[in-house]
Amino acid sequence: MTRVSVDIGGTFTDCVVDDGGAIEMFKAPTTPHEPAQGVLDVLAKAAEASDESLEQFLGRVEQLFHGTTLGTNLLLTKRGDKVAFLTTEHFRDVIEMRRGIRNLGHSVFDQIRPSYEPLVPRSLRFSIPERILYSGEVDLPLDEAAVEAAVATALEQGCDAIAIGFLHSYANPAHEQQAKRIVERLAPDLHVVCSSDVLPTLGEFERFSTTVVSAYVGRAVSTYLRELEGKLRASGLRGSLLIMLSSGLMQTVDQCHDRAVELLASGPAAAPAAALAVGKPLGQLDLLEVDMGGTSFEVCVIQGGAVPTTKDAWVGEERVATKMVEIRSLGAGGGSIAWIDSLGLLRVGPQSAGADPGPAAYGKSELPTVTDADLILGYLPADFFLGGQMSLDVDRAAAAVGSLGEPLGFNLEQTADAIFQTITITMAGAVTEACTKRGHDVRSFAIVAGGGAGGIHSAPIAEHLGIPTVIFPTAQPVLSAMGMLIMEIGQEAAKVGVWDRTEVTAEQLEETFREMTAAEHETFERMGLDLNDVNFVRSIAARYQGQFHEISIDVLPDDDREALVQRFRDHYEDLYGYALPWRAVEILECHLRGSVDQAPLTRLADPGDPPPLEDAKFGERQCYIGGSQVDVPVYYRDLLHAGHSFAGPALIDSRTSTILVPETFDARVDADRNVILHLRDSTGMPEVAGAAERARG
Amino acid sequence: MSIETNNGGNREVDPITLSTVWHGFQTICREMRFMMERTAQSFLMAVLQDISVGIYRADGSTIAMPEGLFDQFLGTKFVIDHIREKFGDELYPGDVIVTNDPYHGDSPHLPDWGFIRPIFHEGELMFFSLIRGHVMDTGGSFPGGYFPNAYDIHAEGLCIPPVKIVERGVERADIAELIFNNVRFRDEMRIDTQAMMAMTLFAERRVLELVARYGADEVSACIEEMITRTERAMRAEIASIPDGTYYGEAATDDDGTILDEPVWVRAEITIEGDEMTIDWSKSDAQRPGFVNRVLAATYGQTFGSVLMMMDASLADYHNEGSLRPIKIIAPPGNVTNAQYPATVGGSPVAMGTQMIDAVTEALSMARPDRALAAGGRHRGEYTNATDPRTGRPYVRTSFDYDGSAGATAGYDGPTGPVFLAVTLRGNVEEAEIRFPWKMLSLEAVPDLMGAGRWRGGGGVDWRAVNEGSAGLMASGSSDGDEIVPKGVLGGHDSPICRTFIQRDGELIRVKPHRMQDLQPGDVLIKLSSGGAGVGDPRERDPLAVQLDVRNEFITLAAAERIYGVALDPESLEIDEERTAALRAGPAPDVEVVIDEETLTVQLRERD
Repeated sequence: MTRVSVDIGGTFTDCVVDDGGAIEMFKAPTTPHEPAQGVLDVLAKAAEASDESLEQFLGRVEQLFHGTTLGTNLLLTKRGDKVAFLTTEHFRDVIEMRRGIRNLGHSVFDQIRPSYEPLVPRSLRFSIPERILYSGEVDLPLDEAAVEAAVATALEQGCDAIAIGFLHSYANPAHEQQAKRIVERLAPDLHVVCSSDVLPTLGEFERFSTTVVSAYVGRAVSTYLRELEGKLRASGLRGSLLIMLSSGLMQTVDQCHDRAVELLASGPAAAPAAALAVGKPLGQLDLLEVDMGGTSFEVCVIQGGAVPTTKDAWVGEERVATKMVEIRSLGAGGGSIAWIDSLGLLRVGPQSAGADPGPAAYGKSELPTVTDADLILGYLPADFFLGGQMSLDVDRAAAAVGSLGEPLGFNLEQTADAIFQTITITMAGAVTEACTKRGHDVRSFAIVAGGGAGGIHSAPIAEHLGIPTVIFPTAQPVLSAMGMLIMEIGQEAAKVGVWDRTEVTAEQLEETFREMTAAEHETFERMGLDLNDVNFVRSIAARYQGQFHEISIDVLPDDDREALVQRFRDHYEDLYGYALPWRAVEILECHLRGSVDQAPLTRLADPGDPPPLEDAKFGERQCYIGGSQVDVPVYYRDLLHAGHSFAGPALIDSRTSTILVPETFDARVDADRNVILHLRDSTGMPEVAGAAERARG
Repeated sequence: MSIETNNGGNREVDPITLSTVWHGFQTICREMRFMMERTAQSFLMAVLQDISVGIYRADGSTIAMPEGLFDQFLGTKFVIDHIREKFGDELYPGDVIVTNDPYHGDSPHLPDWGFIRPIFHEGELMFFSLIRGHVMDTGGSFPGGYFPNAYDIHAEGLCIPPVKIVERGVERADIAELIFNNVRFRDEMRIDTQAMMAMTLFAERRVLELVARYGADEVSACIEEMITRTERAMRAEIASIPDGTYYGEAATDDDGTILDEPVWVRAEITIEGDEMTIDWSKSDAQRPGFVNRVLAATYGQTFGSVLMMMDASLADYHNEGSLRPIKIIAPPGNVTNAQYPATVGGSPVAMGTQMIDAVTEALSMARPDRALAAGGRHRGEYTNATDPRTGRPYVRTSFDYDGSAGATAGYDGPTGPVFLAVTLRGNVEEAEIRFPWKMLSLEAVPDLMGAGRWRGGGGVDWRAVNEGSAGLMASGSSDGDEIVPKGVLGGHDSPICRTFIQRDGELIRVKPHRMQDLQPGDVLIKLSSGGAGVGDPRERDPLAVQLDVRNEFITLAAAERIYGVALDPESLEIDEERTAALRAGPAPDVEVVIDEETLTVQLRERD
């Protein structure tokens, strides 16, 4: 069975192939204007590696997993569609007023800042006479003529998409669906999204905001997915194509069209799963998954082996209330451009040279970037970048970096080193923020390094922060793509109960779950999955009567109401430290998660005794370290075996990345051929760090 | 400015430990507030975030104060002084002290119940944690705490001096019974007070984890370093303001007892080198009505207002060091330092808001690059009636009917509720499930804000119909019918607000600080002005004016008469020539008013 995953990053498109015998990794440049091309390019590389045509190769792929940050990029760069918003008359400012003028978590002592600009300007928010009550009853029928007039104006104004959000549509979606049919009739080319489809939960602000975001990125995401699927089918793919969702599940293309918002951060959401798969066997459950590509740097704080998810996310200035893996992102990568600000200080990023034109060393630009600095410092090989598939132009990099050094009074190496140190400190700050802002000490975590540029930059970050352990999994350069081969396939659904919240019976819940399960069965059948393999997990959202926030409680077979209520009471006490045994419990929502485990990853064969370390040594590279040129030994990662160990400074080249072992670290290779770095003079063997943390907790 | 520069003169601490401890304390506070919001059943605490939290050293100095309502928590050192004086050596691990007494517990008013827990390490008192939130009821004449014209503080409700409600981990049943026998909604009140007590315990655990990890000496050294660094940064910040005396003032419509007579607070701010003095002495004398501030509330409100105007990069790092270079003067008997038994019920809104405005007005003159115009008034009310769906009484209040933020130097004020800078609005859908009121409107209305080069956020047309029983409404938390929030640097003031009840085709005007009956079917209408402006509106970018017209934030008439921008009524294209002529001519003296018959917003020549 051959399974393949492809993840589009800002600079490179990554691919992992597991054909049951071995795991192979590939990279090709991302093609921003036509992202599907980059996908085909990297698949062609994979085909070539196994001496097949693309058709032959794709013909034997049973499952192809895909992640793309297309939606996130559109949202963050504000290049999404022109959207019209149809909403209940007299409430058209809900998405502008939000829940208050400051995003949650934004300090009260920071008041002087730009006002929020909603994705849909007020002039494109249309008031529709209609009203549904909290009970689901229709209070005022939908004014169809008003919808028709709004659609006509939206067309006149050149809108590409229409979002529909009416009050209480979670309780009764009829008006939204009726309006949607009108839009489809009058404007069949427009992308149309209803709040009752995207997020059928109570709370109009969160629901409307999420719906508008979905409309904003929906058409582009949908068009892209259709094109990609068409091209892959035309190139011979017969297996299924599954898309990575931000919630950490995989889903078919069909299911994604109406819920594009669930694809935000679709690629990075997979990396934590891969990091955890590496950390677990090492007994290290507190992990900082960091991923440094060409454009961005991402951190996910995994504590106690749990990948964090949230429904409280803001993406940029937008509230997105669907469930998402919690990841912090920063504009720092190999392509980050170095520049000098108005105070004469050196800065690096957040602008990136991206894939095109790319760093100066790629031969197309004069932009001094982190990659250029890495090359000049000797960390990157000029002739073996991406395993020799791409040569780097040292002279061009030197000219770009050198020109930046002149006003600083630095020579070439000093300038490159300053760029290197600056980006390290910037990323270390982001790691500290993600971690210590939750009150965790970064030093009790281990870093799992991901991303092409993560090889060189992860250990310096660890060194800077005193983090004792850095793990470079075999999949380090393609961590997100690897995660996609590990994560479950499936979907989650929620239903708000329109029932008496304190009296709802087990039978009523059972009936609701049965309806939801039947609906999911259809989806799984369309995905071509065997229903016997689907693992359904039921949960309810419950709270003490009168509270405003619920907690999630698992529902087990044969649970009666009393059992559920008791489980709620126990869990509540665990979470918050006190109980209210005298207070009634309300059950508000049913949640159903249906998922299928993927086939286990192919493990490496037992390596036996390692050959001499010298066999893996490739020679030496001159690096600029601590103000002088030093000859640093270079190892080739494919030739490193379990049991090998050596002291820094050292470099480890591979076909997809280079790892820098600073002189303060020792490196060893474990049974799964992960390269593990330990800060010398620290107690930080990974087992020790993990045990200490568990002992405390 | 940077707070990371070392050289504090304190015991050397490792920068990563310092950073972890610093953020650690901040995080504990944020998590307390977050968990409180998750567990409360009071609309005010769970949805509207009327809660404050903090962690203090044993001597009452502030370690962390990331989020809260200024008057609820920035004056906590006063209550810690009271507690230490009262209990002396009789504080023990596991104690929780409750108080809402403005005169011995430094609460801004009786509904703000504070829970304070002493935190010990190896037998030594090291810290206090505080959570203070606006509870659903506190006894007195009327639910909710914002009813005007009480005779004295005792008539305003149950007044709890600092008492141990929990001693050494055991609740004192007799004290609890006394308290809960004197409030309405006792079950609901028990949920919220339980939750608040649990949060102080949570804070204790997390603080002691920090101490266990780094050692008490190291944590203390970090705190010293935090305070030293923040003080240094704060002094540099004050030193960057030109020396001199700056003046700001604001008033509430009346004090709820003597009607239709405004009450003023006046801030005189003197900058001398790296120190700042805020003198409230020129404010009005203590009042018979409920707008009086006790000293701790004045202290908290003043500091919060000043910190809002300081370098935003300090926002997450404030502590005792931020407070040290600032001196506050408020003579006893002044409305800013009221003496027992003055009533204080309405003062967080009527006077709290005004104190922020007076300070920001003065500092806007001192630092025009950080000018901040006043925001729209709180337009609250407490409604007490019965929900026919449950047969149970309810108390309803909200923030969604408030006007929006004032403009700042460089930016328009955002549209949305802004009251006291931290509170949130609830969702309409949640409110309709909770309370028997159907919402008819929550939408910005054109022109109802202060114009300016940067304009205030939009004014709000809020309407809802009473589908419940007859009842009573206290408009004690409303303001802004007479005295308006002020614009700065030539920005226009925010217009006046109006509230009406529509009953059987008649409009009944409801002024702030009154009691009003409610009948089934009454439509409550609040027209709440948005924020005030910064800078002359005739200097506003014509493209921004055009966009505002297109978005119906302002009318064509306002574009022309207030902003001096002429637009084609059909295409909305800018008529450059007429615009130039308008802007070269004299500015018409136009004010924005609410027509009390049609309830529409009009422009009117000032007499």
